[in-house]
Amino acid sequence: MIRLRRRNGEDVNQVARRSVSLFELRTVLSGRTSLLLGLAGATGFFIIWEVGHYITPEESQRFLPAPQEVLGALITLIVEKDYIADILKSCFRIFASFFAACLIAVPLGIAMGCFMRLRALLNPTISAFRYLPAASFIPLLLVWFGPTDTQKLALLVLGVIFFLVALILDNTKAVQPELIEAALTMGAGRRRVVTEVVVPAVAPAVVDSMRNMIAVGWTYLVIAEIVAASDGIGAVMMRAGRFLKVDIIMAGILTIGILGVATDILFRLAARYAFPWNRERGE
Amino acid sequence: MTMPGDQTLSRTAITASNVTRQYLGGTFTAVDDVSMELRENEIVCFIGPSGCGKTTMLRMIAGLEYPSMGDLTIFDKPITGPGPDRGMIFQAYTSFPWLTARKNIEYGMKIMGLSRQERSRRSDEFLTLVHLDDFGDSYPASLSGGMKQRVAIARTLAQNPGVLLMDEPFGALDAQVRWEMQEMMIEIIERENTTVVTVTHDIQEAIYLSDRIIFFTRSPGRIKADIPVSFKEGRRIPRKEEMLALPGYVDLERQLFAMMREEIQQK
Ligand SMILES: Nc1ncnc2c1ncn2[C@@H]1O[C@H](COP(=O)(O)OP(=O)(O)O)[C@@H](O)[C@H]1O
Ligand SMILES: [Mg+2]
Repeated sequence: MIRLRRRNGEDVNQVARRSVSLFELRTVLSGRTSLLLGLAGATGFFIIWEVGHYITPEESQRFLPAPQEVLGALITLIVEKDYIADILKSCFRIFASFFAACLIAVPLGIAMGCFMRLRALLNPTISAFRYLPAASFIPLLLVWFGPTDTQKLALLVLGVIFFLVALILDNTKAVQPELIEAALTMGAGRRRVVTEVVVPAVAPAVVDSMRNMIAVGWTYLVIAEIVAASDGIGAVMMRAGRFLKVDIIMAGILTIGILGVATDILFRLAARYAFPWNRERGE
Repeated sequence: MTMPGDQTLSRTAITASNVTRQYLGGTFTAVDDVSMELRENEIVCFIGPSGCGKTTMLRMIAGLEYPSMGDLTIFDKPITGPGPDRGMIFQAYTSFPWLTARKNIEYGMKIMGLSRQERSRRSDEFLTLVHLDDFGDSYPASLSGGMKQRVAIARTLAQNPGVLLMDEPFGALDAQVRWEMQEMMIEIIERENTTVVTVTHDIQEAIYLSDRIIFFTRSPGRIKADIPVSFKEGRRIPRKEEMLALPGYVDLERQLFAMMREEIQQK
C-alpha cells in the first residue's frame, strides 16, 4: 500500500512510504530482511523458553532448564565428556548411511522415471515398503547384525531409501517432455538422452529431495541410537534421561538442531555452486 | 536456380499417403486419411481450428509419433523415428537450461560428431544469424522468451536439417516479438534454403511465412484446402508491411478467416 502525504505536509523527505505488514501476500524480501526476520523468530523462541523457565515452580525448574543452562551443559559435555566424539560418530552414521541410500536411490529413481517397464516392475513393491515404519525393522536388524554400527546404518538406510526413490521418481517424471523430444529430434540416442538431458534436467530437484530426506535421516538417527547404542548423540541423551538430566537431553536436541540446519545450508550452498544456471533471475 | 516452392524443378521432400492417427484404442481419430506432398525448399503452413490434428501431423513427420495407418516418407525414405534430418522447434522453450546459449547451439552438432573447432565456428555463425552475438555465454534463465526460442532455432538449424518442423514456434511470445521472429525466420530460411513445415493458428503468420497453406478441418483432421500463396509470386518478403501492401493479401486473409469460421461453427 502506498500512502502519499499532502504536498504541503511537513514530511517532505517521506513522499511515499510503504506500510509494512507481516501478512503482505507473497512480497519479495531482501536477503537482509529475511535474515533479520529469521533471527527475530529464533530470538522470540528463546525468550519464550527463558520466560517458561522462570514461571515454572522452583521445585520443577530442573525439568525445564533455561537456555543458558542448556548451553552450559553442552560446553561441559564437550570439554569433559568427549562429546565431540559422539557428534562425529552420529555424523558418520548419518552421512555414510545417507550416501549409501543415495547411491542406490538416485540412479534407481531416475531409471524408473525414464523406463516405464522398470517402473511398472518395481514401483508397487517400493511404494509398499514406504508404508512400513522403519522402526519396526529394529528387532529384525538387531537379530541380524547385533547392536553394531552396521545395524544402525541399515536402519538409517531403510528409513530414507524408499522415500528417496519415490521422490526422485517424481522429480524425473516432472522433467519437461519437450526437452527429451528435442534431443531425440536432434538425433540423440537413448543413452545420450538419459545422461545428457534427463540427468542434468533433474539434478537440481534431486539435490532438493536429498536435502529434505536427510532431515528425515536425523529423525531415524535418534531412534537408532536410543536403542542399543553406547555412543552417538542419541545414546548420550538416553543415558542422561536415566538420571533425569534434562539439561543434557536438551543439549542433545540442540546439537541435532544445529547440525540439521548446518546440513541444510550445506546442501543449499552445494546446489547453488553446482547449478549456477538454475538461479532465478535477479537472485 | 530454382524459385522457392517451384512445383516442377524441386525434389519431393515429404510425402504422406493416407495417413491416419487414432487415439484411445481407435475410438478417436485425430488425423484422418491425410495425403500430401511437400517439395524441397517449400515453406508450408498447417492451419486450422484448435484440436484439429496439426500438432499430431507434424509430430508424425518428426517421427515422435506413428501413424495408425498410412505411410510417411522423407526424400523417398520411410520415416521410422526422429532424426536430425528433421529439426523440430516446439512451442515450449526447449533450450537446455543447464547449457549456455553457445553450448546449446553446439549440442546438436556434438551429437552429429562435429569437431570442437567446427562446432565453435558454426556456433558463432548461428549466434549471429539469430541476433544473439552478445549472449553466447548466457544461460537460458537470463534470456527472454523470444531469445530462448532463438537459441532453440539456432541449435536446430546448426545441424543443417533438410526439413525444419515448427509447432506454433512463436505462440508463447507477445505480438511485437512474434513479428520480429517472423521476419528473422524469413531471413534465415532464405539464407539456409531450408524446407519448412510450420503449424500455426495465426492466419497472418501463415500468409506471411508460407508459400503454401494447408487448411485442416476440425476434428477429425482432414485436408480442407491446399492453398498456394500465389500473390507473393514465390517471393519471401523481408518486411511484413510490404506483404500487407501487396494486392491479393486481403483477399487471401478474408478467404482464410471465412474458412476458419466455417470450421469453428460446425458442431
Ligand atoms: N496422446 C493423445 N491421446 C489422446 N488424444 C490425443 C493425444 N494427442 C492428441 N490428442 C487429441 O487429438 C486431437 C488433435 O490434437 P492436436 O494435434 O494437438 O491438435 P492441434 O495441434 O491442431 O491443436 C485433439 O483432440 C487432441 O485432444
Ligand atoms: Mg497444436
